[in-house]
Amino acid sequence: MIRNKVRENEKTVLYVDEIPSGAHFHVASGETLKINIACFVNDLDGKIDVDVDENGNFEGALADFSNRNGKFIINVNLNGRGATCNWHLASLTGGDSKKVFETSVFHEDAETFALMSNYGIARDSGKLTFTGTSHIKQGSKKTNTRQEAKIIVFDDTSDGKALPILKIDENDVSASHAAIVGRLNEQHLFYLESRGISEEDAKRIISLGYLKPIEEYFSDEETLRIIDRAIEGGI
Amino acid sequence: MSTLVIKNLHASVKGKEILKGVNLTLNEGETLALLGPNGHGKSTLLAAIMGNPAFEVTEGEIYIDGTDILALTPDLRSKAGLFLAMQYPAEIPGLNSADFLKASMNAHREKPLTLFQFYKALQDAYGALGIPFEMSKRNLNEGFSGGEKKRNEILQMKLLAPKFAMLDEIDSGLDVDAMVTVADEIKKQQERGAGFLVISHYARLYNMINPTRAAVLVNGRIAVEGGPELVERIDKEGYEWIKRELGINVEKEVDGSMNTVSIGACGTKVKINDKK
Repeated sequence: MIRNKVRENEKTVLYVDEIPSGAHFHVASGETLKINIACFVNDLDGKIDVDVDENGNFEGALADFSNRNGKFIINVNLNGRGATCNWHLASLTGGDSKKVFETSVFHEDAETFALMSNYGIARDSGKLTFTGTSHIKQGSKKTNTRQEAKIIVFDDTSDGKALPILKIDENDVSASHAAIVGRLNEQHLFYLESRGISEEDAKRIISLGYLKPIEEYFSDEETLRIIDRAIEGGI
Repeated sequence: MSTLVIKNLHASVKGKEILKGVNLTLNEGETLALLGPNGHGKSTLLAAIMGNPAFEVTEGEIYIDGTDILALTPDLRSKAGLFLAMQYPAEIPGLNSADFLKASMNAHREKPLTLFQFYKALQDAYGALGIPFEMSKRNLNEGFSGGEKKRNEILQMKLLAPKFAMLDEIDSGLDVDAMVTVADEIKKQQERGAGFLVISHYARLYNMINPTRAAVLVNGRIAVEGGPELVERIDKEGYEWIKRELGINVEKEVDGSMNTVSIGACGTKVKINDKK
């Protein structure tokens, strides 16, 4: 199942079960780069750097279902005015794996936009950490940045940490973060159960809601099928 | 004909007793207006009947046709024919509305609906409630306006066709047109023979759906039961006469103190000497 597809012309880079370590991408002015990473069996360790020029767009998605350890780092530098970054991550962390995802974005110029969205489920003895910095540098006026980190902790032995950091060194910017770590919401479960859905199914449905949306960012159909199987079979 | 029977129901929230012995009976085909001052237990009663885990039933019984409802989990109460349109429906991230509706409709059936049957029912229901069908693709209640959430509750009631529907302030957040649409759907369910237990602070909704009976919940107990004329009287006079005529001292609104919330500083503006 280990494949590594790089389709240069399409500007979508797909990694399946092979996390790049030290890969560097450069998105030229006005261009769009998509990176899709799916991890099913291998270690997570890896690091990606992305530089985005003026009005360039970076769209990254990582779907992780491996029961291995590791730390994944992505740094996105928005170097030119109007550069954007949209990052989406979904991780199912079970067994006794320990995973850290560090997702950072550096706003180096004005009117740049970034969304770093990380969703995860920690269960069994899995330990899941989302961290990362959104740093708005001096001179990056009218910049908009958001860090989201949401983890459902399923079992007594599982653990989740969300540590989003905002560093703001400029005025006239918009910056926000959301960090939620906790058990399945009792009132959410009750709402579904009150409609006839069993507790077990309700838990499953709510968990799917954390992982399933990652599918919309993947374009390779074969990878999508495996992701779908991993989600449906994993929960 | 089914009957919902509530006997001597006591219920607490966080150790504080809200319901102090409620007795009430509702037959299929009846519409009962449940009235009472704020904080006296109306919403608690509906939540306790449905089995909301935030409310602990400490004493009493609830039966539908002799089946002990209190022994059932909320999903089984739903299958027994109960439905609660909630005052504050939960927003569930990532859960597609149509997927949710399909799961709940299929939970009520032995054989799952075919895709065709499901979409037909869905389209009919969205049409009847004047909700754009595109809303079925959105996450459940996420980012819905107050009125959209309430219509969405009535949509679920229509699709699940319960024996007993409990509506908790379904008219709050609805504009006049939306209220007419919602009332029309309630009337259709009344014709079908469903029983209703309806909380509202306004006579407008009650006038549209014509309750057959009314009950007033004061101090955690039913203080008085009667015909629809009770709705009119309370709309005109409030609750003062209850003390005068029935000698019941209406307690001040039960302490609605909030949990302590702390809001920390998230964004810190600092000068950073970064090598980048």
